[in-house]
Amino acid sequence: MNLKPFSFLALSMPALLAMNYVAAQVPSPAAIASASAVAESKNINEWLMRMHESSKNRAYIGTYVVSSGSVISSAKIWHVCEGNQQMERVETLTGAPRAIFRHNDRVVTFMPDHKLVRNEKRESWGMFPELVQSADSRIADFYKIRPDGVDRVAGLDADVVLLVPKDNMRFGYRVWTAQKKGLVVKLQTLDIDGKMLEQAAFSELQLDAPVKMDKLLHMMGKVDGYRVEQPVLIKTTAGAEGWFLKTPVAGFKPMSCYKRPTVATASGGSEDPLQWIFSDGLASVSLFVEPFDRQRHDKESSMSIGATQTMTRQLGAYWVTVVGEVPMSTLRVFANGIEHKK
Amino acid sequence: MNSSKTAIQNGELLSALVDGELLPKEFSALHGICNQDSAVQVTWNTYHVIGEALRSPGSTAQPADFAFLMRLQQELVKAPLPGTVTEASFVRSIRAPVSDAGHRRGSAANDSHFRWKLVAGFASATAFLAIAWSVNGLMLPAAGSQLAQLGAVAGGGTTQQVVIASPQGLMVRDARLEELLSAHKQLGATSALPVPSGFLRHATFEIPENFDR
Repeated sequence: MNLKPFSFLALSMPALLAMNYVAAQVPSPAAIASASAVAESKNINEWLMRMHESSKNRAYIGTYVVSSGSVISSAKIWHVCEGNQQMERVETLTGAPRAIFRHNDRVVTFMPDHKLVRNEKRESWGMFPELVQSADSRIADFYKIRPDGVDRVAGLDADVVLLVPKDNMRFGYRVWTAQKKGLVVKLQTLDIDGKMLEQAAFSELQLDAPVKMDKLLHMMGKVDGYRVEQPVLIKTTAGAEGWFLKTPVAGFKPMSCYKRPTVATASGGSEDPLQWIFSDGLASVSLFVEPFDRQRHDKESSMSIGATQTMTRQLGAYWVTVVGEVPMSTLRVFANGIEHKK
Repeated sequence: MNSSKTAIQNGELLSALVDGELLPKEFSALHGICNQDSAVQVTWNTYHVIGEALRSPGSTAQPADFAFLMRLQQELVKAPLPGTVTEASFVRSIRAPVSDAGHRRGSAANDSHFRWKLVAGFASATAFLAIAWSVNGLMLPAAGSQLAQLGAVAGGGTTQQVVIASPQGLMVRDARLEELLSAHKQLGATSALPVPSGFLRHATFEIPENFDR
């Protein structure tokens, strides 16, 4: 008797569930359902859109744990969606106490230890559909999607998929989505060798929880006793500021560019840098440019914090800092590619 | 019999030193013993390997190369030292096993004041050193002693550092880089993954932009 198929089954059960479906075998109905859910979304954008849609009209309360490098942080999150209105409340459970409220693109951060509230608008939060739709082929050009079995997270059965980068310019992701509701319940960032750099997951999750938007909005507006700060960002373009990239970095498109008015900061910075933001749809990179200051910019350096890498470089009379959730080599391409118009 | 009894006593003294519970009088006695008895130094090293293994289950704690440390200590003793800090070489030798002897540091002018803080805050210091390894290139050679002064911010016009409380202990980073990291998390998080990754990552890792106020 040929036992080979059975030992293979034991070794690669998750992968087989998907393969079974493709080969039209007859596994348990549940296995078919979950495998088909993954296998059907051959198109990565389709999969992303579906995930986005299914997680949009949800109300939930959960505890979210982020593990980056050797640091573990956690936060409690309340999420509610009513029609086109999205609302979130996040309370940090580790580190400095913070309460963050997001209502669509408006983000209000409470810092009780500083008696300070920061009220800001963040365009990027509303960008999701455009990111996938406009960049229709872009994400699929640089990532492959592959089913990676099933798992259980926060008490929920979840489908696991791998987003595998097609080149070594970006990291990969392993994504767990709840089978019933499609909500992303866990996410890992993997380096180019597939080693885990960072992960975030719900440790507990109550779906369809009674979260009331008006109640959260009321809490968001209660700023008595706090100093309210409204950071001003000036939208600009890199071209207008005299900056360009000699050669585009594969897959990364410029998304936006900001300047901040001069503020005296802790580090003695007199001029806030230009922030030029790039994204390949999944990963993002910020290029910061500021005037070179011999006093502060004493050493070019690089650093890794979980999936986030940073690198600094002197460029003539300027100092360039690149930050992003991409390999260090990709940051180097950015750092070496930026140039000032003569 | 006597020697084994002494060894146990020395072990207890070392244990108290690791825990930051050693009295000044006992410290002087232990210092004397340390200089004569290499076994005590081996025990000290072992305690740190054990501590390291307990603190970081993921990493493989490696005992330091004792012969190398001894050579390093001898070189440090020979090296000219500013001021009249008699125990400076000892402080260095006890720091060497944890720092993997790889981090060269200048001695700070306030060494004599800070050595007791160092002993008391030893657990924090080891956390610092673990960070110092990864914060490659950002650490100035002289920053080590500033690290041990919990919460101190280096002045002097060069790169300023901030000490950030994290679940792992206190971390030292370049203040400006911290601002830029924060700005990246706030504005740069443009991802199609609908996980609140950027938003939550920002929330969980955030330090206030205005931490100086």
